Amino acid sequence: MDRARIFKSILWAITGLGSAALATRFLIGLGAIANMNDAVPWGLWKGFNIFPGIALAGGGFVMTAIIYIMAREEYHKYAKISVLLAFLGYLTAATALVTELGLPWLVWHPIIFWQHHSPLFEVSWCVMLYLTVLFLEFIPVPLEETSRFAKIRIFLTKYKIVLVFLGIMISTLHQSSLGSMWLITPEKLHPLWYTSLLPILFFLSAVAIGPIMLILAILVITRIYRRRTDSQTLSKLGLLSVFGVLVYGLVRLIDIGVKGKFAMIFDGSWQSTFFLVEISLMVVIPLVLMGVRRLRNSSGSLWVASLSAVIGLGFDRANIAGIMLSVDGPMYTPTLFEVLVSLAIISAAILAFLFGIERFKIWDTKWEDPREKPESHPDFDRSAEVWLGTPRLAGRSVYSLIFVVSLAVGFAIIPGKRIYSDGVQEVVSQKAYGGDTLCIDGNRDNYGVTFDHKAHVVRNSNDSSCVLCHHMNQPNDKQSGCYSCHRDMYQTTDAFRHDWHADPANANIGCMECHAIDQERLATTAKACDQCHKDLIPPGATITIEKYMAPSYTDAMHFLCIDCHRQKAEELTDKPDLALCTTCHRWKHPNHLQDEVAEKYNHPYFNHVVLPQKGSKEKGH
Amino acid sequence: MQGLLDFAEGPLFRLTFFIMVLGFARVFILAIWGAVDAYRKAGDKTIAWGTATRKTIGWLVPIRSVFTHKPFYSMFSILLHIGLILVPILLLAHVRLWETALGFGWLTLPKTWADLLTLATIVAGVAIIIGRIASSNLRFLSRKQDYLWPLLLIIPFVTGYICSNTAVTPATYQILMLMHVLSSELIFVLIPFTKIAHCVIMPLSQFIMLIAWRFPAHVDDDVCTTLNKKGMQI
Repeated sequence: MDRARIFKSILWAITGLGSAALATRFLIGLGAIANMNDAVPWGLWKGFNIFPGIALAGGGFVMTAIIYIMAREEYHKYAKISVLLAFLGYLTAATALVTELGLPWLVWHPIIFWQHHSPLFEVSWCVMLYLTVLFLEFIPVPLEETSRFAKIRIFLTKYKIVLVFLGIMISTLHQSSLGSMWLITPEKLHPLWYTSLLPILFFLSAVAIGPIMLILAILVITRIYRRRTDSQTLSKLGLLSVFGVLVYGLVRLIDIGVKGKFAMIFDGSWQSTFFLVEISLMVVIPLVLMGVRRLRNSSGSLWVASLSAVIGLGFDRANIAGIMLSVDGPMYTPTLFEVLVSLAIISAAILAFLFGIERFKIWDTKWEDPREKPESHPDFDRSAEVWLGTPRLAGRSVYSLIFVVSLAVGFAIIPGKRIYSDGVQEVVSQKAYGGDTLCIDGNRDNYGVTFDHKAHVVRNSNDSSCVLCHHMNQPNDKQSGCYSCHRDMYQTTDAFRHDWHADPANANIGCMECHAIDQERLATTAKACDQCHKDLIPPGATITIEKYMAPSYTDAMHFLCIDCHRQKAEELTDKPDLALCTTCHRWKHPNHLQDEVAEKYNHPYFNHVVLPQKGSKEKGH
Repeated sequence: MQGLLDFAEGPLFRLTFFIMVLGFARVFILAIWGAVDAYRKAGDKTIAWGTATRKTIGWLVPIRSVFTHKPFYSMFSILLHIGLILVPILLLAHVRLWETALGFGWLTLPKTWADLLTLATIVAGVAIIIGRIASSNLRFLSRKQDYLWPLLLIIPFVTGYICSNTAVTPATYQILMLMHVLSSELIFVLIPFTKIAHCVIMPLSQFIMLIAWRFPAHVDDDVCTTLNKKGMQI
């Protein structure tokens, strides 16, 4: 297999894996695949796709400025490729943004609903406009393939300079306002990154590293398609961008020095290490490898320098948009699926880029694959003696297979628990503690309800009163506690547990014990529970059970208490407030009592602890 | 065992089911793409739309073959196809599973019908294997997979029938259910890449083949004339 096919196969596989997560995100929601939370609502996609994506796509406007305005003809052959690169870079950023925001059908809102105080308003307008400009700049290339739309193509080519100017204006605006956005984070962003010059630094770094990204892209494609590199032009372009890198590095370091933060660079903290790594990748290595003439002319050092600069810029944006922001709350680590979505968006963009390279006249001459010609010999798979078709035909079937299988794998590895979760965490409810007076605090947050059990028993004519509330006897139990069936604080739970009954390791009951042989096996046609569990329902129980799906602990308590309290409030004219929340939820443990409860909770006999009375005046009786 | 069953019903089911559905989509798109490519390259672009459509519909309703040749084999084959398509899709127990997963279900077969169809499918599957072995013509044409496919296809039907109609112990039930699920999943994975793909792309492949045979239109008549077989079926 040739290099290009292996490379593209890997990209298709990543795209497939990530597309499954992407589809899940849009069908089910962000929670099904992402770990972002209220403390860190800006996750991996912002730090890894959007900010670096837009910065690295800066090559588009820089190159068009160099070629069309500074009239440097020697770079003219890279004009189309830099526009394509920029266009796809912006598309990845826009895709990642829509993935993160959701509701893609509302993406036009910033056009109509103006919020002119927000840098993001400006950014969204600019990105939309610039995407349009890039589209118009690039569209003549594919249109060359067909004789239709010739007028449009000629018109766009004729007025290209207008588009170039527009592109430069718009890019200057939003590259810097992406930096302005972070000006509201002086307390959150680490001081080595936070500066009032952020807008200028964002602009300068995009200008400097944009062309280096182009160098890297050309190096990569010439390598995978085994074409010759025009290393002389590339190293000239490298030298040009080194000036940009130098300016950026100087501005950044002088700014840090002037603000008196120079010592922080060497204070040994992990942030300072990150800073040093970032500066070496982004500024020092490119400066040395591209600045020194002897090094610049070797393609190896061009590779290292451009790779290091591109990774460095990505690292810088990731630091600002995520890593260096202080977090108040639970820490954020991206899930595997967030990583896959990130990589899939990038892989899809690279595939589109390669498609453009292969199919359109991006260079001065179109790259033709000699095996595509009708007179070339057919390409056989030697192991199976099968004709693979032309490379294009073979690629079509191989890549689609890889994509389909990896998409299926992607769907399979997303845990079902995440997909079907309705976003509510499982909180197991626990037994109320106390004796005659119960402390009902199912989730043990020390904020519960004191329930005078004995007073309620006495008030409701003693022994016959149990069944007013306790409506079920679990096997080997009498008047089972609420928590034994209402097992979750906030979610409905299955009180019957079908699979437990049918499991050989547990109840080990065959199907026909409950279901009839000639009927569908449904809950409605099955034997009733109390046919086996004779004393399941205590005689006289006021609450009837239909489905054996127990409402949440909280709901069960509320329904039970509030219904009765409301009724009593009407009957007993002297207690009009009986049904109010505060009748039951009247206390929070004071600190000393909280400690006491915690201590007693850890005691082996904590179930028998009678909490101190909170004073009879609160009881109402 | 329960863990294994959970795995087979969860991630493994999602994997195989998506491979089947997406595999269908892939084969379908590739077929259309190939046809469009061929059409664009062709010099004479007249197409026998009418004949091709009529013959495709004829192939989709193969009742005629029952009365012409091999009546028993054709009958069992039709029975097998009806059972294979209807039972898995319309069985109440399956629709209930879809309902919990998707939130909506669809119409179901009554239990007696489902049981009868299941039994008929099993009988038809066995009869087809016997028919292939018995007839020397068919034996000559058959590959290994032609014998194995009916066998594999009836495994989920047999296990499913036993599970839903007999009083087996829970341990046996689990083993049978695992066989049921795993064999179905094997079928899912194999379908898009083997001859069983015809269950979805049959109309399309038949249509494309019929067009290709008459491409350009009426070329089949020319072939017949050349072979001195004008008016005969070849």
